[in-house]
Amino acid sequence: MSASIAVTPADIVREAAALRQSLEAGFREEVVTSLYGEVERITRRAVHDSGSRPLELDQRIDHIVTSRWLGLPLMLVILAVIFWITIVGANVPSQMLAAAFFWFEDLAAGWFTQLGVPWWLTGFLWHGVYRGLAWVISVMLPPMAIFFPLFTILEDLGYLPRVAFNLDYLFKRAGAHGKQALSMAMGFGCNAAGIIATRVIDSPRERLVAILTNNFVPCNGRFPTLIMLATVFVAAAFPPAVASLVAAGSVVGIVLVGVLFTLVVSWALSRTILRGEASAFTLELPPYRRPGFARILYTSLIDRTLFVLWRAILTAAPAGAVIWLLANITPGGVSLATRTADFLDPLGWAIGLDGVILLAYIIAIPANEIVVPTMLMVYMSQGMMTELDSLDGLRVLLVDRHGWTMLTAVNLMLFSLLHNPCATTIITIYKETLSAKWTTIGALMPLVIAFAVTFLTAATARAFFGF
Amino acid sequence: MLSFPVSVWLLVLLAVAVAVLAPSYGVVAQLKKYRQARSRERTENALKHLLREATDGRTASFGSLQGALRMSDRGLMALTERLERDGLVRTEGTQFRLTADGERVALHVLRAHRLWELYLADELGVPLDRVHAEADRAEHRLSRDQLDRLSASMGHPAVDPHGDPIPTGDGRVPESPGTPLGDWPMSTPARIVHLEDEPPLAFAQLSAEGLRLGQVIRVIDRSSTRVVLSDGEREFRLAPMLAANVHVAPVEAEVEAARLPEGVMTLTSLPSGTTAEVVALDPSFKGFARRRLLDLGFTPGARIRSDLTTFAGDPRAYRLRGTTIALRREQSDHVLVKAQA
Repeated sequence: MSASIAVTPADIVREAAALRQSLEAGFREEVVTSLYGEVERITRRAVHDSGSRPLELDQRIDHIVTSRWLGLPLMLVILAVIFWITIVGANVPSQMLAAAFFWFEDLAAGWFTQLGVPWWLTGFLWHGVYRGLAWVISVMLPPMAIFFPLFTILEDLGYLPRVAFNLDYLFKRAGAHGKQALSMAMGFGCNAAGIIATRVIDSPRERLVAILTNNFVPCNGRFPTLIMLATVFVAAAFPPAVASLVAAGSVVGIVLVGVLFTLVVSWALSRTILRGEASAFTLELPPYRRPGFARILYTSLIDRTLFVLWRAILTAAPAGAVIWLLANITPGGVSLATRTADFLDPLGWAIGLDGVILLAYIIAIPANEIVVPTMLMVYMSQGMMTELDSLDGLRVLLVDRHGWTMLTAVNLMLFSLLHNPCATTIITIYKETLSAKWTTIGALMPLVIAFAVTFLTAATARAFFGF
Repeated sequence: MLSFPVSVWLLVLLAVAVAVLAPSYGVVAQLKKYRQARSRERTENALKHLLREATDGRTASFGSLQGALRMSDRGLMALTERLERDGLVRTEGTQFRLTADGERVALHVLRAHRLWELYLADELGVPLDRVHAEADRAEHRLSRDQLDRLSASMGHPAVDPHGDPIPTGDGRVPESPGTPLGDWPMSTPARIVHLEDEPPLAFAQLSAEGLRLGQVIRVIDRSSTRVVLSDGEREFRLAPMLAANVHVAPVEAEVEAARLPEGVMTLTSLPSGTTAEVVALDPSFKGFARRRLLDLGFTPGARIRSDLTTFAGDPRAYRLRGTTIALRREQSDHVLVKAQA
């Protein structure tokens, strides 16, 4: 019974090493081929194909959504529809949330006063910190709660890989990866989430390109600014019936400018500090699936909306405090906010904006959502962040009293699109790259581009169009 | 003369002292690190030279070492003395021989060199004429453990991109395959299995001629001044010195039969909507990208249909084994297919 031939592990290893020498170079190929051969044999015996209809439907849809002529326009239409639903749908809940939050603010401030708490503490806590939080939640939550589920539906359907497929050629020419389209699409929701989504890109170089350029797609925090400008300055010239459509159209337009900058900057990066060729691209276009309701709610609300909102809240609270302090510390009777704005004014003028807007952007580094309220606050020299009730009132304030022109609106849109990423995004860039160098580049490069572009448009407008 | 306060000078002095003496970042520490690396490099290059000479059946002398390492007499004397003291080399008269320990180190360096070359060429797509120089630098920095991982990740390859055998982890060198081209009979088909990469200039010349590993050639003319090869389409003229750097092996019968049949084209040129059968993946297409395609099911015999085309005509998507897979032109160019009626 005991083995007559003693085979030791060392013998086996030696035998294997000897046999390995005799393998042809292509043996891996033979292994894979035989595996697939075996799979085919089993499939033939076990799987009966009765000419599945859904598969044919799949392919018919694919032929439309990726076709030469319809592929790209269809994409834009879908994008416009999503923005339109987000714009129209977020409006009412946003106002309701704001009303509720501010009602509670007055109530709570009243209690504090009754209890004899000093006015500056009440102001700091409720009109500063709390109001900042309330603003961010009421401006951000409704659009995110609409945009993210819509986006997750597209994702769940399997449409996004088709977008990556459609756009890959452009990205290849820019030296980037086709899947960058996917991370950009996530960036519409939130650039921090978009930067995390670049993990699907294998090549480190192309992933860095995607990380550094993600900022050029406007996120939900910046959409309110874009939407406000589109509504006040563009859509106002159209009848109310189509105004929301025009607003959505202008937002799509600015998004296209962002995509253009993404491609141009990717191209420039691939030829300078991230030199290299586009790497291999294999992408499976999965069959379309019926979106799972529970999964969509979970991914979009828990994973995305709340995650992003929580980070925004963490940064918005201190920003709210800073805004309150700047507006309420008044050495020599003039608030710090006004003083700083005056100081920044020449720089703002050079790029077609003004000091108040720049100040708002500096304060809003933690969260872009609070740009517009901060701006209005300083304009109205009021002690708190404010929103005007009607758009007409807004136009009067901006155009008649503070000298806004079409140039201001266009440059503010461009600046909002191109300027440095918010603090959350910068932290995310650091977490994903673990490199201070790339984080610095990711933060400063867009800022430099934003200043350069707005300076050029301002100079051009002033030289040729008499602004 | 400006008279600085003494405290400022002291501060400057302190800063300079820190910059010079700081552990691991200071100038002194950096210099020491550099000298250690330099010394390791020289030691290993000397051992590598001795191993090469032994493999080629020659013995190394002071002169041959000097030629290989380009060092001064004094420097080389010190080096050889140290090698002997460390028990890596022993002298027999004027000849140097590797001890068992020395051979172990030399094999490690050789293994590092060849594995790194293969990694650069196959996985990173670095051009063949650049891998040798890069590997010459990297070979001194790789640890045993790293090499084992590198080897495992590439499936324990047997030969480097020039066809040289890669030593195994336990220090055996597989036999170098092939016969020198000079000894190969005229007009018998042969497969190139090895292109010598030392000296680099000779290799650059061979690859500039268009010779590559795996090519099937015949010797059609041989004289004292030149050797003429043909691959059926082109002729290659080599100086006999250069031809000695080419090693060949007999062509396997099946491979000769598998020359591309009529009607084979690249997947890129397959018209949209038509079905074809995968014949092979282009042999020059290597590394990760090749494995990826194989894993996706681009195996010989698989039926494939060109299905979707984007606005630019690139990438395209193909139906394969019940899935739709998009490829860029760079990849589909390497998939050879045969259209089906």
